[in-house]
Amino acid sequence: MLKDFSQILKEIDDDIHTLSQVELKQKYLSKSGVISKMFKELKEVPDKEKSEYGLKINQIKTLIEDNIKNRVEEKLEDKPLFKIDPTAPFDINSKKDKKPHILDLRGSSHPLMQELEKILDIFQRMGFNILESRQLDDDFHMFESLNFPKGHPARDMYDTFWTDDNFVLPAHTSTMQNRALRKFGPPPIRVVLPGRCFRNEATDASHEHTFYQIEGIYVDKDISFANMLATIKSYLEEYLEKELEIRVQPAYFPFTEPDAEFVISCPFCNKSGCSTCHYSGWIELMGCGMIHPNVLNSGGIDSQIYSGFAWGVGLDRLTAIKRGITDIRKLRDGDINFLRQF
Amino acid sequence: MKLPINSLKEYTKAKLNIENILHILSSKIGEVEGVTNLSEMYDGIYVAKILSKKDHPNADKLAIYKVAVGKEEIQVVAGDKTLKEGDRVAYIKPGYIVPSTYKTSDEFKIKAVSMRGVLSKGMLCSEKELNIGQNHTNVLVLPSDAPVGKPFSKYYQLDDTVIDIENKALTNRGDLFGIIGLAREIAGAQNIPFESPQWYKENRSDIKPEGNILPIEINNESQTLCPRYMIAVLDNVQVKESPVWLKSILIRSGIKPINNIVDITNYLSVLTAQPLHAFDYDKLVSNDPNGKSKAQITVRLARDGERIHTLDNKIVELNSNHLVIADSTNPIAIAGVMGGMDTEVDENTKRIIIESASFNRFSIRKTSMDLGIFTEAVTRYTRGQHPQLCLPILLKAISLAQELSNGVLASNIVDSYPEPSLTKGISLSIPRLNILLGTDISKEDVISILKNIEYTISEEKVEGDYITVVPPVFRTDILIPEDIYEDIGRIYGYENIHPTLPLRDITPPKKNREIELKKKIRSILSNSGCNEVDTYNFTSINAIRKSNQDPNVAYHIKNALSPELELMRTSLLPSLFDKAQSNLNRNIQTLCMYEFNIPHIKGYVDNFNLPKEDWHLSLLFSSKEALIDGNPYYEVKRYFEKIVNTLGIKPFEYELIFDSSEVDLPIWVKNILPLFSTTGAALIQYFKNGNKIIIGVIGDIDSGVKNNFKLPRYTAGFEINLEELKRCDTLDNRKIHNSKYPPITQDLCFTVNRDFKYKDLETIILDQVNARNRIATLECLDIYQKDSDVKNMTVRLSIEHMEKTLTDSEYEKLREKIFKKVLVLKN
Repeated sequence: MLKDFSQILKEIDDDIHTLSQVELKQKYLSKSGVISKMFKELKEVPDKEKSEYGLKINQIKTLIEDNIKNRVEEKLEDKPLFKIDPTAPFDINSKKDKKPHILDLRGSSHPLMQELEKILDIFQRMGFNILESRQLDDDFHMFESLNFPKGHPARDMYDTFWTDDNFVLPAHTSTMQNRALRKFGPPPIRVVLPGRCFRNEATDASHEHTFYQIEGIYVDKDISFANMLATIKSYLEEYLEKELEIRVQPAYFPFTEPDAEFVISCPFCNKSGCSTCHYSGWIELMGCGMIHPNVLNSGGIDSQIYSGFAWGVGLDRLTAIKRGITDIRKLRDGDINFLRQF
Repeated sequence: MKLPINSLKEYTKAKLNIENILHILSSKIGEVEGVTNLSEMYDGIYVAKILSKKDHPNADKLAIYKVAVGKEEIQVVAGDKTLKEGDRVAYIKPGYIVPSTYKTSDEFKIKAVSMRGVLSKGMLCSEKELNIGQNHTNVLVLPSDAPVGKPFSKYYQLDDTVIDIENKALTNRGDLFGIIGLAREIAGAQNIPFESPQWYKENRSDIKPEGNILPIEINNESQTLCPRYMIAVLDNVQVKESPVWLKSILIRSGIKPINNIVDITNYLSVLTAQPLHAFDYDKLVSNDPNGKSKAQITVRLARDGERIHTLDNKIVELNSNHLVIADSTNPIAIAGVMGGMDTEVDENTKRIIIESASFNRFSIRKTSMDLGIFTEAVTRYTRGQHPQLCLPILLKAISLAQELSNGVLASNIVDSYPEPSLTKGISLSIPRLNILLGTDISKEDVISILKNIEYTISEEKVEGDYITVVPPVFRTDILIPEDIYEDIGRIYGYENIHPTLPLRDITPPKKNREIELKKKIRSILSNSGCNEVDTYNFTSINAIRKSNQDPNVAYHIKNALSPELELMRTSLLPSLFDKAQSNLNRNIQTLCMYEFNIPHIKGYVDNFNLPKEDWHLSLLFSSKEALIDGNPYYEVKRYFEKIVNTLGIKPFEYELIFDSSEVDLPIWVKNILPLFSTTGAALIQYFKNGNKIIIGVIGDIDSGVKNNFKLPRYTAGFEINLEELKRCDTLDNRKIHNSKYPPITQDLCFTVNRDFKYKDLETIILDQVNARNRIATLECLDIYQKDSDVKNMTVRLSIEHMEKTLTDSEYEKLREKIFKKVLVLKN
């Protein structure tokens, strides 16, 4: 059977675009190069295939030699002291029709960013400020200021990455609560805190070690659990463009009291059951709760006078649900054919 | 936490239908993970009696049994030849599923089959097949009073439904890791008063030994980590199989029965969430180098390097962070985590020590994480137990051991409880409660809700809007009024809280400039054929080296998922190299991708000494086709200028890396320089009030880096710092010039030195032409290099006058001035 040449042709195609002239010569045309090796193998080829095989090798050789010949014109570039004029709008000797221009390609913004912009826009209209979250933070903001003392078992709920210098990669955007309270205080404080979060867990179609979260906090006099339910509900109805039924389930977060899991009727099947809601008719969307007095106090807000609520919602899952993306890993693998669909 | 519903009956009169309980659990307590109907799992299995046995004619290892199931007589072939006539066994009918495989990927359904020529209708089950124990070698022989013909699930009290509750939601609720705690909540949720069983509240520690006294001594050296340690010794115990009811409750709770003593400790832990442990007294004394006359127990921190042989048959090395229970010399258990093999209770044990203790939950957690040991005891201890409960539960354990093993109490209750912790009253404000929840709950309802779940209301302290309540002792999570408001809210029902939007003032929120800037740039680039990507912060030493960068300035992650993801990236471009390469390997010929994100560099810190987090924008253009002439620098520059022109920021200056001095460059600029070709890339600079601001670096990628990432030669990009870009001024759009006189336009050609910069030509022309009432517009048409020393630059110059039509001679004069200047500079 004739040797398969497609692999080697593909390699050559890559090399032609990446290797320098000298490297190309070294790899293919030198005494120990790929081509002379192939000629050596010719001996083992069955007689009836020999001529066809030899022809192929010669074709490859010509391909490479031609490429090197054609490159001679570009030799100028290889000279180390050939400096471009960075202030010019194009290079010397550029032909009229091949001057730099914006190409007619299909552009796209990232689906996560599209959703993020929509969400932030809704909250701005609802009167919320925006402060973006950090990607490396300290123990105080990630845990202590949120009422997780050192060694607290609830820290285990967050599979957190740490650097050698003991910085923490935030596992939730709540890492910004203390800063937001201080920056936007005294109340009323209304702010959303979007940002990247990290969890030390294996990735699969629905889990990622890197994801976006959007935290929100609202602190003022007389703010109630009922206010929280209505605020989150109106935002979600605006975002999903649908009237929703809501439910809350008890949950536990050290930084809120009472705390809850916010559940909405499935906007895709109107509670009749579909794959998105795992045929339950309901989708658990986010954790929320009344901000713990210790968290308010540590943010410089008097918890005797003020109260407030907070929530944190994952953007990736929301985007995946809304845009029908079945494998969440697609969001970050940079496949342009995928991205161009958004 | 597994909750067998039938186990609740003993403790509450609450309605126990499954829908009702599931609703209560998920709306008021926590999240339900799963529901298992055990009757279904054990369907088709009956108690059977062996009638006769004979050898299999064709197989030495098989026996043929005739069994009675009710009135039916059935022939079964089994691999266990030890069964005797009259033995009671669990028999599974053809057509039903072996419980140990129930709802697994390889469910095994019994069929009537011929085994070596003899028909076998059904199967006799081992413990393991029944999913109630480990033994797989023998058929399980049931007690001789097992009623023949009765469904096995009824006989073993497995006709129950088990609800699996997600532990996370109960993280702070130690009491809910016990059946009694859940019974209390379920009753409370149905407005039914709950009362804990009498023994749970028992408080007398003065019970006396009944026979011989077995001497024992406790030495608690670590009172902060062990607030309470108490034990009792029992003599004359018979270690044997537990009765069916005890086995049954353990099986339903997901715990395998072992023997009566161990089962009692596990049973009480399942009921009350207070872990217990039993030691073999004689083994303890005989193993102790100094323990000839009495048992000595020391609670202390381990010594570094000390070892223990644990019950799961592993040798564990300890250090001085780990609390242990020791004899006079050596550890016999890892406190609150796992017991030791050397003092294990087995069938030969005659005397036991029962331990009921309270350990610091943080210390237990640390030990468990350090050693990677996760047990039921760890789960419970880390949720928080109150030391007060050690006593009643120890007393209950003693009485069960007396009843089920004929044990005799052989010591006093030995108790180390130096600082009894007390529960304090908490004052609640009814108006504050209603403000926080957004409800209108009356004081009477509050009192009744709390009383139902065993809060104590100090009647004399019910004044006006305030009441003072004492939380029950097992509620270690209740510290402040808000904790109680949550209890009230939960039980009152979140579904009864009416969503109401907050009243707010109408001050508009401030725009976030960074978000706005990113949004604008995103829209410009996406409309210019560029694709936005979102890539990981994580990278590897290798990937950083491939980019010519220094891995030592990258933050290293202690607990990275893999070496490929152990560093935080120091710039964004390398991520784009990677993604570009994989796209070019697919069917893409030309691409332009970009990302907004935050790189991190060691030593680049903010005012709080935290890593300074500037948003960067990176863009990469890469093509396998020859679409554009010359160095790819010019193509990405076109994209950069598209952005800044649209934003209205200019002019920027570009300084070739080769010509720039690297002194005084910000660390983030230094870090990205090695990515670029020094003769084909430039620093982007902006001058503001005489100060130079470096925005970023733009241009051709270093050829070595291109090679490493297998990128085509036509690859260039930029990385800019948005924090710096924000500092640049946008053009003042109030100064729009608009002349009603036509401009004069001519093409001019200049022959200049090879090194002569286009920018210099532009400056000369604009300087000469621009005046109060005259404005030049310049377009570069061509740059042609004949030989290596000189080049021709052709520009199209339009001159507009604000107040008149410009004459040819005026244009000519300006042109001469320009040529003179260029000539001066050229020489």
